[in-house]
Amino acid sequence: MNTMADSPVKVNQPGDAPAGPSPEEQKKMEAAYNQMKRKMAISEMGKAIKHKIMVLSGKGGVGKSTVATGLALSLAQQGLKVGLLDIDITGPNVPKMMGLSGRRLNVESGRIHPAQGHLGVKVISMAFLLEDEDTPVVWRGPIKLGAIQQFIGDVDWGELDYLIIDFPPGTSDEPLTVAQNLPDIDGMVIVTTPQDVALLDSRKSITFANSLKVDVIGVIENMSGYTVRGKAPSGTEIELAAPGGKTVRVTADDEGHWSGTLDIFKSGGGEKTAEEFGVPFLGKLPFDPGFVRGGDDGVHRIVSEPDGPASLAFAEVVAQIQSKVESGSTDSGLEII
Amino acid sequence: MDIPELKRLERRDVDMHLTWSDGTEHQITYDDLRHACPCAKCAPQRNDDNSSKVLRRTVESLPKEKPTVRPVGNYALAFEWTNGCSSGIHRFERIWRLGEKQDPDNGKAYVHGAW
Repeated sequence: MNTMADSPVKVNQPGDAPAGPSPEEQKKMEAAYNQMKRKMAISEMGKAIKHKIMVLSGKGGVGKSTVATGLALSLAQQGLKVGLLDIDITGPNVPKMMGLSGRRLNVESGRIHPAQGHLGVKVISMAFLLEDEDTPVVWRGPIKLGAIQQFIGDVDWGELDYLIIDFPPGTSDEPLTVAQNLPDIDGMVIVTTPQDVALLDSRKSITFANSLKVDVIGVIENMSGYTVRGKAPSGTEIELAAPGGKTVRVTADDEGHWSGTLDIFKSGGGEKTAEEFGVPFLGKLPFDPGFVRGGDDGVHRIVSEPDGPASLAFAEVVAQIQSKVESGSTDSGLEII
Repeated sequence: MDIPELKRLERRDVDMHLTWSDGTEHQITYDDLRHACPCAKCAPQRNDDNSSKVLRRTVESLPKEKPTVRPVGNYALAFEWTNGCSSGIHRFERIWRLGEKQDPDNGKAYVHGAW
């Protein structure tokens, strides 16, 4: 016979403690609380970071991480507080370029503290979470999305003048998630190389930015011309065989120095694309093997040669970016009641 | 599509009142908004007249409530309800078309993956 005590239905008697939430309800409540906490943290972060810049390209291999790192270092050279967020989940390279290989992140009270690289630039990257640099990240979109939301909401950046965000190539999950979650983004910087294939993809990035109503701060043409230098008796005329069957003629100066620039990947395409889409052209960065060596050694060209031509080229680009973002307002002014 | 900027959204009991930067004002009922949900589950139901009517009836049968409104980046709004679908990200262009009593899908049938 079934007694009251055996029944699955429990009737609360006077004096019984009220039934608490089930473990499943508890889990849901905790998830909702964490989500709310993250939203608040993101809103706080929006206020504590003055300028947020996304660095994108349509095509891979155009030097996006090198440019993002260069922009961050060039801004830090001015004494500004800068953060660098490497959103390339499956191919995070920024820590290596910043000399931070093998570093781990410090987590305190549920907040992730960024690592500090050259010139005090704060860095967050997936690479800090991998056991070793050969470990692949094999994640589908929704998992990547969760990691990106954590990178945005759970990192204690402190107060920053600039946050530079480096993305993997393309216009998919990563930039979309950041554009949806990070408030008051100043805009996107599109990195391209001068050849048609890269330009075709850069155009997609510009259209992508327009569709998300994020300003395009401008286009940077990277790997734009490789300058060859040499010495010869003063007045010597030298012919350099340039790509595309062209010939570059140079003459050695009074001291015997000569230099000629070869447009390895063509030239001027970035400027043309910017003009075509009515967005600013921020400048050309030279093809410089020093970037490759610097990236591998963890010492960026800007750090090893602060007054070198690469640093100057970056400084010019950065000055253009600063004049654009510091004069603009990102407040949409939408009142919801 | 160039549209003015949305400046004010007032949530009322059964509809919302919108004010745009050029002074245009729109009223959009929550039923219209929810029927126009652009998510991958609701949108295909509008491809066909019959399933669109079913979606409409489903939406109308939900309890009337004011949604929570959340800006999505600079380009859209998300509406969160305690019942039914809250997945849709409504671009400002869609909201404008709804306000103008135009087809928010602009006559295009939903094709999965075509963003």
